[in-house]
Amino acid sequence: MADDDDVDEPVAEKAAAGGSPILDLPESLVLHILSFLTDARSRHRVALACTRLHAAERATRAELSLRGDPRSPGFLFLAPHFCFPALERLDLSLVSPWGHPFLSSAPAAGASSSSSAQHLNNPEAIFEQNEFIAGRLAHCFPAVSSLAVYCRDPSTLTNLTPYWRGSLRSVKLVRWHQRPLNLPDGADLEPLLQTCTALRSLDLSEFYCWVEDIVMALTAHPAAAAALTELDLGLAGATNGFNSPQLGAIAGSCPNLSKLVAPCLFNPRFPDSVGDDALLSLATSCPQLTVLRLSEPFEPASTSQREEAAITVAGLVAFFAALPRLEDFTMDLQYNVLEAAPAMEALARRCPRIKFLTLGSFQGLCKASWLHLDGIAVCGGLESLCVKNCQDLTDASLAAIGRGCGRLAKFAIHGCDVVTSVGIRRLAAALRPTLKEVSVLHCRLLHTAECLTALSPIRDRIESLEINCVWNAEQPCGVANGTTECNPEVFQEKECDLEDDELGEVSYESASKKCRYMEFDDIDSWEMLRSLSLWFSAGQLLSPLISAGLDSCPVLEEILIKVEGDCRTCPRPASRTNFGLSDLAGFPVLAKMKLDLSEAVGYALTAPAGQMDLSLWERFYLHGIESLQTLCELEYWPPQDKEVHQRSLTLPAVGLLQRCIGLRKLFVHGTTHEHFMTFFLQMPNLRDMQLREDYYPAPENDLMITEMRAESWLRFEVQLNSRNITD
Amino acid sequence: MGIVEEAHNLRVVGEGKRGVIVLAHGFGTDQSVWKHLVPHLVADYRVVLFDTMGAGPTNPDYFDFTRYATLEGYAFDLLAILQELGVSSCIYVGHSVSAVIGALASISRPDLFSKLVLLSASPRYLNDVDYYGGFEQEELDELFEAMGSNYKAWCSGFAPLCIGGDMESVAVQEFSRTLFNIRPDIALSVAQTIFQSDVRSLLPLVTVPCHIVQSTKDLAVPVVVSEYLHKHLGGDSIVEVMPSEGHLPQLSSPDIVIPVLLRHIQRDIAV
Repeated sequence: MADDDDVDEPVAEKAAAGGSPILDLPESLVLHILSFLTDARSRHRVALACTRLHAAERATRAELSLRGDPRSPGFLFLAPHFCFPALERLDLSLVSPWGHPFLSSAPAAGASSSSSAQHLNNPEAIFEQNEFIAGRLAHCFPAVSSLAVYCRDPSTLTNLTPYWRGSLRSVKLVRWHQRPLNLPDGADLEPLLQTCTALRSLDLSEFYCWVEDIVMALTAHPAAAAALTELDLGLAGATNGFNSPQLGAIAGSCPNLSKLVAPCLFNPRFPDSVGDDALLSLATSCPQLTVLRLSEPFEPASTSQREEAAITVAGLVAFFAALPRLEDFTMDLQYNVLEAAPAMEALARRCPRIKFLTLGSFQGLCKASWLHLDGIAVCGGLESLCVKNCQDLTDASLAAIGRGCGRLAKFAIHGCDVVTSVGIRRLAAALRPTLKEVSVLHCRLLHTAECLTALSPIRDRIESLEINCVWNAEQPCGVANGTTECNPEVFQEKECDLEDDELGEVSYESASKKCRYMEFDDIDSWEMLRSLSLWFSAGQLLSPLISAGLDSCPVLEEILIKVEGDCRTCPRPASRTNFGLSDLAGFPVLAKMKLDLSEAVGYALTAPAGQMDLSLWERFYLHGIESLQTLCELEYWPPQDKEVHQRSLTLPAVGLLQRCIGLRKLFVHGTTHEHFMTFFLQMPNLRDMQLREDYYPAPENDLMITEMRAESWLRFEVQLNSRNITD
Repeated sequence: MGIVEEAHNLRVVGEGKRGVIVLAHGFGTDQSVWKHLVPHLVADYRVVLFDTMGAGPTNPDYFDFTRYATLEGYAFDLLAILQELGVSSCIYVGHSVSAVIGALASISRPDLFSKLVLLSASPRYLNDVDYYGGFEQEELDELFEAMGSNYKAWCSGFAPLCIGGDMESVAVQEFSRTLFNIRPDIALSVAQTIFQSDVRSLLPLVTVPCHIVQSTKDLAVPVVVSEYLHKHLGGDSIVEVMPSEGHLPQLSSPDIVIPVLLRHIQRDIAV
């Protein structure tokens, strides 16, 4: 887009005359310029300018996410010259209907004995149609090297891969539905590992299968496994994790891995859990690892008393010694590793390139008891640090980290209960030149208002902020307005700061002082804040947020709101109060929102007398969304009733969403009734809508979950697509 | 594919030889309300599931307001389904209003039904002289008011915002919670149909054996209604009141309800 503007600007008069100088350039230059254009809307605008640019755009497009139904006549009968020769990254995981068995040999969903025109029942007809579609796709996109596809069963891959066999380097499989029961182990990955010789990267972070499938597939295809350099085994977050022998088998089969992401079984009560030995063997098998992210999938029953992990500091020291190329390391445990500081010092020494670090349940990370830096603060090269559940991380530790990790651009603490706003402020002040992203969640002593004021040193520099919203009843609402009477206190505090820094000593008493900051601190707006992420517990209001300190965010474009908790035990909100989404209308350029109520649990179809059901809660949360007039993209996760396994939009939710007339894209991670979908047809700008049930297990259409069927969805889509769009 | 099958999302599961069971859901829900019951039946019976017209997953264009102004319209649908499937005799399990619909259908075609299992059924919801249906006119007025305002809002492009939980009367709340899940225009029509219906005079014409099952604490169906049905139905009938609560007991307390339903399906009334 910059290129276009630069060329067009000085000759605006000529453009008015009907020709543009960019067209005077030789074709190869035009194509070269266009290849730099990555933003989808800009590309669309270019394509609409004139036929020559249209063809040029198509010739240079590198990335495309296909929506719509490839079985529709519009796609099947495209002209032969419709082709994207430069297209390398193709995403087929969102074709309509979402989650449908795409190009699968199995008959389409709908177990009734009769079928509609769209569904074919006999195998030859299915086979022919699949061949035809796959052939068309290959014709349109001959050069695909990176593919994402929703894969219900391996026949999808068998039908697709022959065409791109030689060029596929990177594949992402998506499956939120259940794994077909009668598949042999490893069958899901067979077609890929067997035929795609150029395969280097496999992303299964959203693909549900068993851990045994992975192990079997990799050990059965040693050549393909040895060629892999990137492996993401997230498995839709639905497994218990790989145990020690399984991890060893994977590491053994893939010695050239440079990136590995895997959930692991770290629970020490299991005999073959991942411990020091398993880690060391992983490191020795895969010495080239630069990105390694291991996490424990499930929270233990009681998070207050965590048990000790099977992983020791000595083990970690040896582990880091074996991975000199490590740049991005995550070890997110639910079991404590005690006295971890020496391990961190070893990390700094042995892995000099380390830049991104996430640690969960590591205790004793940074004692900061003397002037010198210890533990994590020694890792001077860190650019991103996330510490979770470290119960002895103190304000002094944060100050030390601020001094020691001078390049830190992203800092996150979750569940560190001893940290107070003093520590945050010290860190923010020390890292003012570099710190751009901050995340503070579930830290018991950090209420939102305090946290926001503690960040004032970087208020005008921070670009992305994540906090949980806890409204302390004693906090005055007027903090941001600066109506305070404590000037002398503030100056004293600042002097104290300087002294403390010099001495390097902080006592717990100063940490508990509540500090009120002067008006001049808060005059600056959050000038560079582009992305805001908020966590609420069920039943809490959003409205106090603005007065808590987030009053002026001129460039905020994206907001993510997550609500978690049990609505059934919440007190009923007073009548006429609602969550307060309309308060966000004060952010002038807010364009994208993700509203995640999926972890808010309540009653759906039936509720005990006097209890609110989910339709009332959805009304509470969504009321006021129509005042967000700049909003053009919304992703919404409806609240759920775990008893009924239902995540579906209710009448008030649909009605309120429909009022959001600026919306162009609406993605609902759940389902809804067909007649509610017709409400969305009233939204004049809506052009992209999809129901994505991307949570495990996604409801199968042939079982008893019947709200949105494939036919209903397709009917809606046809209607949506046949409307005229004004811009 | 037949229009009837497609319109009603008709499904037949199970290969059992003991007979055909038709499961009919009440308004505001759809066939998935039987999800806990179906697994127990598929081994022995052929189970027919369908969505009544106007239910969530059906195509709203097929909803004919004149046909469905009375419950007879739905009874005709049921008979059409049975005819389409070629069913000669079935056990019909109907919930709430569909129970009454089944009873109506059985008046004109008693040969098609070997027995009726009526779950949370009521012949008339509005109280009358010497009859306690559970609802007073004022409560129903409030409901129609809410639905009317939803309808107006929906027509003018506003968000229909009234929901079951707003009702003063807990009885209306309980019954209409799922009703508000239907599109506002269909919901208004359906609510009028239900609450204006009064099939008390037709009860003596029902000759098929009826198994009347309901919750102890269903605010929409007081226990006396089951008594009334038992007294006035033309054929043999038996009443069982389950220790469950609410109008959707097959969803809210399946462990209590499923065994009861199975018993009534499998055993006949001893004369």
